[in-house]
Amino acid sequence: MTGAGGLSAPGFPEAAVRERARSGTAAAFPPLSGYGHALLGATPGAPEAGAPYGAPGDLLETGRLVPPVFMPRRLEKLIELGREPQHSDVDLTTDIGGFHAPLPLYVSAFGSTRAAGDGLGTAVGRQAGRLGLPLVIGENVLPVSGYGRPGTASDGAGAASGLLRRIRAYADELPDGAGGVAVQQSTEDADAEVWNLLHSDPHVQPLLASGRLAFELKVGQGAKPGLGGMTLVDAAEADRLADRYRVRDTLGEKGDVLRCSAPGTVTEEILRQQIRFMRSNYPRVRVWVKLFPGRDVDRAAAVAWQAGADAVTVDGAEGGTGWAPHAFLDGVGLPLGECLRRIGPGAHPLLVSGRMWEGGRVARSLALGARAAGLGRAALLAADEDPDRGLIRLTACLELELRLLVSALGKYAVAELAPEDLWPQPAAERRPDPTTREPS
Amino acid sequence: MSQLPPSPRKHLDSPRTRAVLRIQQQIVSAARDHLRALGFVELLPPVIGPATDPGGRGAKQVDVDYYGHRYKLMTSAIMYKQAALLTFDKIFCVAPNVRLEPPETCSTQRHLAEFHQFDVEIAGAGAQDAMGVAEDLVRAAVRTVTEQLPEDLDVLGRDPDAFTDLLARPFDRLSHATAVADLAVLGHEQNPDAEIDWEGEAMLSRKATRPFFVTGYPKGSRGFYDREDPEVPGTLRNFDLLAAEGFGELISGAEREFDHARIVTRMRETGENPGKYQHFLEVAREGIPASAGFGIGIERLTRYVCGLDAVWEATAFPKIPGVVSL
Repeated sequence: MTGAGGLSAPGFPEAAVRERARSGTAAAFPPLSGYGHALLGATPGAPEAGAPYGAPGDLLETGRLVPPVFMPRRLEKLIELGREPQHSDVDLTTDIGGFHAPLPLYVSAFGSTRAAGDGLGTAVGRQAGRLGLPLVIGENVLPVSGYGRPGTASDGAGAASGLLRRIRAYADELPDGAGGVAVQQSTEDADAEVWNLLHSDPHVQPLLASGRLAFELKVGQGAKPGLGGMTLVDAAEADRLADRYRVRDTLGEKGDVLRCSAPGTVTEEILRQQIRFMRSNYPRVRVWVKLFPGRDVDRAAAVAWQAGADAVTVDGAEGGTGWAPHAFLDGVGLPLGECLRRIGPGAHPLLVSGRMWEGGRVARSLALGARAAGLGRAALLAADEDPDRGLIRLTACLELELRLLVSALGKYAVAELAPEDLWPQPAAERRPDPTTREPS
Repeated sequence: MSQLPPSPRKHLDSPRTRAVLRIQQQIVSAARDHLRALGFVELLPPVIGPATDPGGRGAKQVDVDYYGHRYKLMTSAIMYKQAALLTFDKIFCVAPNVRLEPPETCSTQRHLAEFHQFDVEIAGAGAQDAMGVAEDLVRAAVRTVTEQLPEDLDVLGRDPDAFTDLLARPFDRLSHATAVADLAVLGHEQNPDAEIDWEGEAMLSRKATRPFFVTGYPKGSRGFYDREDPEVPGTLRNFDLLAAEGFGELISGAEREFDHARIVTRMRETGENPGKYQHFLEVAREGIPASAGFGIGIERLTRYVCGLDAVWEATAFPKIPGVVSL
């Protein structure tokens, strides 16, 4: 390749440098033309590219589930049933952060990317409700898409996909005794009082009364650890949001503007007290905490559990549906397998997300200590394929795989998956301080 | 007594309402006289601002479109009280507050979405000083009602002997930890890290024959402005005054965080975005006086003095959480 001046640089990423020379800051991000359509995350070294995207020895990628020959638990199940057990006998029901779920699965938050707007997020919610899977709703759905209160024409740019309508679409389909909604709030969303708004809304009271409402404190996300949410907005929307968000860094020539949420400052004491404050303020609401895959993720999870969090969600570096700079997608944050290794197995309610779509990765995550796995991009793609049944079919396939895998390991309850089921065995690592939930 | 008010006409035209509002007027008047005699200056309270007390227990604030900016109706005047100490050392106001409490509070008999507070703030004071002022103020208000409005108490069937203990003896003070332990003895499980729940407050209150203070709430149970005890980290230098006879909380107060860096840190610990409070923080960065203060719920104090079943009886135009009314 040669440029205007005729230089070339064999062996050097010349094309990328020239792209930056042409586009400036826009080149730090994936192509703007894909915004709102491309579900980003884990672009580097995707399996089809032939390179591992996990760390060397990442058990979620390289590990294998290995059944034993001798299966005393299968004998126990045989005695219990009076016949040879089958994969259909596996109990997949799980407590997910205080919610009862028929499977060790939940639907992750999608952030405010346009991809989840236009009814797709609502379609996902409706199907998740039918399945009784817990649903997490992103922290900035309210400020970006509005509330969607019934009886009002519009209270935001995308009221049809607004917060309350998404919750109602989900709750209307929810079978008794299953599922629940976790609604995120991060630093700047405190201005919009997302949690207070829901907590005081008569339409949300049935979820509250049945113990199926959680608030998730969003500390960060897998696709851009250490940063806050990012979306592209047009100039008019930028003006609307200007006094609430940092809106700057125009990208490209069309006038799209990068809207950045503040990541929020967290210390051990801030995290501990925020969780206590949530428990004190909302005693009937479950408290979830979402962590980015930081190097001290084990310590942060321990602090959260000790302060009384009902669930800690760890979003691996493979996670993400929204907008993130190349530098973060390619090289920031721990892979999920390493997060699980650092946290270690235990009785804690640990939820994980990042590239979940089939039974093998989910089962390996559970064997490494997770309670449940979150579907993000997979859920959106499935609903995009079929807004009415796509996620239901995807989940059915994943469920069958899980049943086959767990039963093959000679176990008949998903909670019994353990590191012993993996090869190679996870290296013993430092463990966080022993933690117990504080009394409530 | 029904849980909800009758029609506005029936409520406003009731001899009971007339008696209650006369007693309330006496309470307000006595409190003003008492505080002015102590050298306090009354300020007219702010109604809207770019930020207000984030409070606790999940009440929503009311947003106001202020020339395109999001303003709030006051949920309490706390930050304005602290700033006002740059003008006078002792201030008070009779302030309207609006808090969109969760609908479940409509049946507690002690929550209103719109209510009024005596907001008191004292420069250079500690929590003990503020408790002393609060105790004397309540006693002064109750005394003038019992002395000057016995007929109105009679209309309401309120026995003035209910206040014999209040008028004669100092109020007890028990720590939050002791209150939690007392509740455990009563069979009530109370989260030691949290605000005492409504049922717990009512249980403690029912045991008492005069109001009493609960002090030293844990951090994580209150807003960023209650000062953390530098000598006992994790504990706040704050207090509630709970009425006797099961009427529950009348007053919340505290020594205040006044150091800019401490305020910002505490804001984060309570999940707040300091950017929202920039106008207050700009004042605090240049220095505001150390202080202590409190707020008295006027309708709640009226309810206690009158012995009313529900706090809505203590206002002419009740706003019950979640109930649409005049």
